[in-house]
Amino acid sequence: MNTTAAHPFAALTPNPPALPTIRDEDWRFTPLKAVTGQAWAAPSAAPVKFDAPDLGGPRLVFLNGRLDDSLSRPAGLPAGVTISRELPPLRQAAPERPFVALNAAGARDGAVIRVARNVKVENPLQVVYAGGDGAAFARLRLELAQGAELAVAEHFTGAGRHFLGSVTEASVGANASLKIARVVADSAQAVHIAEFCARLARDARLVLDSIALEAELARTELRIELDGEGSQCDLRGLALARGHALFDHQIHVDHAKPRATSRQLFRNVLDDKSRGVFSGRVIVRPGAAGTDAQQQNNNLLLSDDARVDTKPMLEIYADDVKCSHGATSGQLDANAVFFLRSRGLGVDQARALLTFAFANEIIEHIAVAGVRDWLGARMGERFHGLAQ
Amino acid sequence: MTKLLEITDLHVAIAGTEILHGVNLTVNAGEVHAIMGTNGSGKSTLTKVIAGHPDYVVTRGDIRLRGQSILEREPEERAREGVFLAFQYPVEVPGVSNMYFLRTALNAQRKHRGQPELSGAEFLALVKDKARLVDIDAGLLNRSVNEGFSGGEKKRNEILQLCVLEPALAILDETDSGLDIDALKTVAAGVNSLRSPQRGFLLVTHYQRLLDYIRPDHVHVLLDGRIARSGGPELALKLEKEGYAWLEAATTPS
Repeated sequence: MNTTAAHPFAALTPNPPALPTIRDEDWRFTPLKAVTGQAWAAPSAAPVKFDAPDLGGPRLVFLNGRLDDSLSRPAGLPAGVTISRELPPLRQAAPERPFVALNAAGARDGAVIRVARNVKVENPLQVVYAGGDGAAFARLRLELAQGAELAVAEHFTGAGRHFLGSVTEASVGANASLKIARVVADSAQAVHIAEFCARLARDARLVLDSIALEAELARTELRIELDGEGSQCDLRGLALARGHALFDHQIHVDHAKPRATSRQLFRNVLDDKSRGVFSGRVIVRPGAAGTDAQQQNNNLLLSDDARVDTKPMLEIYADDVKCSHGATSGQLDANAVFFLRSRGLGVDQARALLTFAFANEIIEHIAVAGVRDWLGARMGERFHGLAQ
Repeated sequence: MTKLLEITDLHVAIAGTEILHGVNLTVNAGEVHAIMGTNGSGKSTLTKVIAGHPDYVVTRGDIRLRGQSILEREPEERAREGVFLAFQYPVEVPGVSNMYFLRTALNAQRKHRGQPELSGAEFLALVKDKARLVDIDAGLLNRSVNEGFSGGEKKRNEILQLCVLEPALAILDETDSGLDIDALKTVAAGVNSLRSPQRGFLLVTHYQRLLDYIRPDHVHVLLDGRIARSGGPELALKLEKEGYAWLEAATTPS
């Protein structure tokens, strides 16, 4: 960045860290014009219209980076689950990750959810981050003790032009299970830079779905440490981009212990002048024998002006491992379009149905049922009233 | 007799190469026509150009359905007017259930004809009957279209679509290829159940065997982009016995 200009976050925090540029390898395909093009102010206290379902269970709502008591509903939790309003210290200080450093300096509010040993939480817990203007930060920490089970839906939403820098950290204890669905459904001017980190103990399980529907820029970094033998993570993502949107998924899966399993399936559907970025890195540490890692990235380009950058990376330092990765990019299958038309479907209907089908293979497997149903209905609206 | 399909002096090119060099063919309502021929003779091209595949360009001649030229019609318009093509290589459509696809297709056609669209329950009743007819397992109806289907299941699924959509003109492009005898009989039974005085069939096949089960009224031999010979069912038997060499010799320009 231009060092003579004021830092875009100068008004929010003293000495903000330098922001990355496309000369940084991890940001090569993600220009930050939407972030650096203005000086960000602290958000106003104005009420915010947001786009998230109410699943009826416990719910935390962060408005402009502040936990809102009137909209939050921390009730209905079984014994052994606590929600505490506090700003948890970041588990990792990462000077090479400027937005984590920015969150460290700028976050004012946060929450920690703790699930005690062998406690199973039936209803999904919703966390809504809503913004209306300015720049805000939020921090969430999930701590699952041994054998605990929790489902969480994180909604990134709001109205107008605003910035949210969020960090969610999870520790998943031995034989515990965390299911998490993250949805970016915001205005077309919103900017989300999000980091999700999880450390999994022995036999722990993580299922994560990351869905981006609307924003100007939404970057999600997922950093998963498979730090226990036999731990498993199943990561899926879908970005449906249009207009000038840029949706970016950066995945780091670290196989630190033997016999852990990781699955990655990420899809981009890119229309108009939108861009999709997928970077998937799998590291298999020395001694992580019996690792089973699969990674798949499929991209559907609906317009000649859309662009995707995909970067799968495997670094293997152990023997006796099973690793695979693959990436595809292309347009709708012309034979399939002709086939559907030859059965009487109009060309727009045929294209919408095929696009819906490509995206729906992610949507229909979302592990948090309420989010799955809500997105299923939204998909129907987006694709010309198709309902399935 | 009503002329259902009339093809006159049809020349067709793909990517600048002419494949059909003047095909003439008339299918009347109620008739079954078989088209035989060697690989590369233009059989598949003929079926695709009738269905309106965008890669094939008609450079001369005409295709008329019930007297109206369909050359300017989109594939979906042809389908709604009653043209159906059973694909030689059925297309897999991951993520779209067979049932949903069939109902969407049928309703698109019903809407075009001014008929009320069928509800899920009404459609279910209809499709179950048809599935039994072509011996398709109910489980396949809820799976993605053709995804993970065996070769025989894919072909039977084409015939299921045929039975559900009940087109005026059914074109089958090598539906018998790769089928064992039991599957062939099932496919033939599905086709025969649809034979009616109002409907016409165009069967493209390599093998006379299919014609033991679906008896054609007329057999045509396509050779190098032209119909080299037409006759009755006996022509298919002669081809089965003697091959195509005698025809090639007979049509070689002197």
